[in-house]
Amino acid sequence: MASSGDEDQVPPGDPVTVSTLVIDAGTKIMQRRLPVKQMNTHVSTFAIYGGDMSRQIETHHYIHRVNDEFLQCAVFASDHSDAPLIGIEYVISDRLYENLPQDEQKLWHSHAYEVKSGSWAYPRLPEVVASPELKNIAKTYGKFWCTWQIDRGDKLPMGAPELMMSPQGVGQGVLRPELVKRRDEKYNISTDELKQRRAEIAEPEWINPMADYWKQHGKCFVLDIVTVEMNRNEKFP
Amino acid sequence: MASSDKLPGAYPARDGGDNLPPGDPTTMKSMMIDKGAAMIQSMKPIKQMSLHLCSFACYGHDPSRQIEVHFYVQRVNEDFLQCAVYDCDTSKPHLIGIEYILSERLFNNLSSEEQKLWHSHDYEIQTGLLVTPRLPELLAKPELQKIAKTYGKFWCTWQTDRGDKLPLGAPSLIMSPQDVNMGKVKPGLLKKRDDKYGISTESLKASRDGIMGLDKKNPMADYWVHHGKGLAVDIIETDMKKCAPFP
Repeated sequence: MASSGDEDQVPPGDPVTVSTLVIDAGTKIMQRRLPVKQMNTHVSTFAIYGGDMSRQIETHHYIHRVNDEFLQCAVFASDHSDAPLIGIEYVISDRLYENLPQDEQKLWHSHAYEVKSGSWAYPRLPEVVASPELKNIAKTYGKFWCTWQIDRGDKLPMGAPELMMSPQGVGQGVLRPELVKRRDEKYNISTDELKQRRAEIAEPEWINPMADYWKQHGKCFVLDIVTVEMNRNEKFP
Repeated sequence: MASSDKLPGAYPARDGGDNLPPGDPTTMKSMMIDKGAAMIQSMKPIKQMSLHLCSFACYGHDPSRQIEVHFYVQRVNEDFLQCAVYDCDTSKPHLIGIEYILSERLFNNLSSEEQKLWHSHDYEIQTGLLVTPRLPELLAKPELQKIAKTYGKFWCTWQTDRGDKLPLGAPSLIMSPQDVNMGKVKPGLLKKRDDKYGISTESLKASRDGIMGLDKKNPMADYWVHHGKGLAVDIIETDMKKCAPFP
């Protein structure tokens, strides 16, 4: 793919010009950015491609708490200002999850292991501040669509979204140690230490067997884009 | 019927109300961590989303289903923008998807299979459908001129327009308004948006005079317009790729 800049640049493209910067500065001042301002918490964690669990990635979730049972997250590949936006995750309480139709439940993953193992971390936030929230998150379920597969070298977002799964304590859900180590070094934290501190967080009484579908069913979900007939000339009512 | 089109099963909400999504209101305890995080943590990627665009979009498998959309745009470089997409711009917005925007140059280098998933932007800008709320046209025009020459790819992950109280099913591929019957934005939808911002799309059209579209629009983009077929998304249950688990 042609690019005027560094061949390894993700995405390719010319650097921002001065006139663009002026516009951006102007818009920042004049426009309210209400929805995006609601994302006020940063979580560093990991995710695994449902269709190929050898592919594990570090993710950065920027979280908007919509109510006490629902979070919506913009997910980035890093915490830098030029981080690629790689997907969306929704997080819901166990109560909301139990009310979903079964076919829908299959698309979601649990968070208990991710929280208790220390994978789910709040950079720079003291654990004591995070602790009440961790107890809640441990009982939630998430649905994460990845729309840009940076890890396989895509310089631009290609193809259909992929359904992501969460780290688990067994089989293909176990995270590669070097992936965790790299994250820990960046934030000067220890996932093992977080795990010990979180030992008191109660395991959920029950994790729905439809979640983390791969664990008990050995199957995953992939998206297929299909062409469908439509009537182009249909008039509005 | 493709998954992205199937209506979800009956979904009871505890409060029985119209809350979207359902759920208990945020407690003081939850607010404390949010405040703590807001003070201590750095939100660099989010702070970059500095431009708000409001426009309309239609579902790739059924362009008669149209929605008002709000893009919070980050310009990553001169050829690429990424956007968090919401269904409104109030303090209770729903994050309904992601749009990526490419320059003509980057788009033309994609495979034709990939190009099918993208849409053009010139029509919605030239007709005033796409607006920059609260930002004067004079300031917005240079950016609009650039975006008029781009292509976008928009995945919608939450179909709030059909009443889904939670994000259900597969993502949908979303297309842009176009100058054909099904692609023209319904008058009622447009009026509602214009009234909210006290603007007139008709008069904006005049100020958009002189904004040029793509030099040569690629026929793979806006697939449904040129090929008469929509693009829908199916979820398929399949075997996992076998790989050795880590010790």
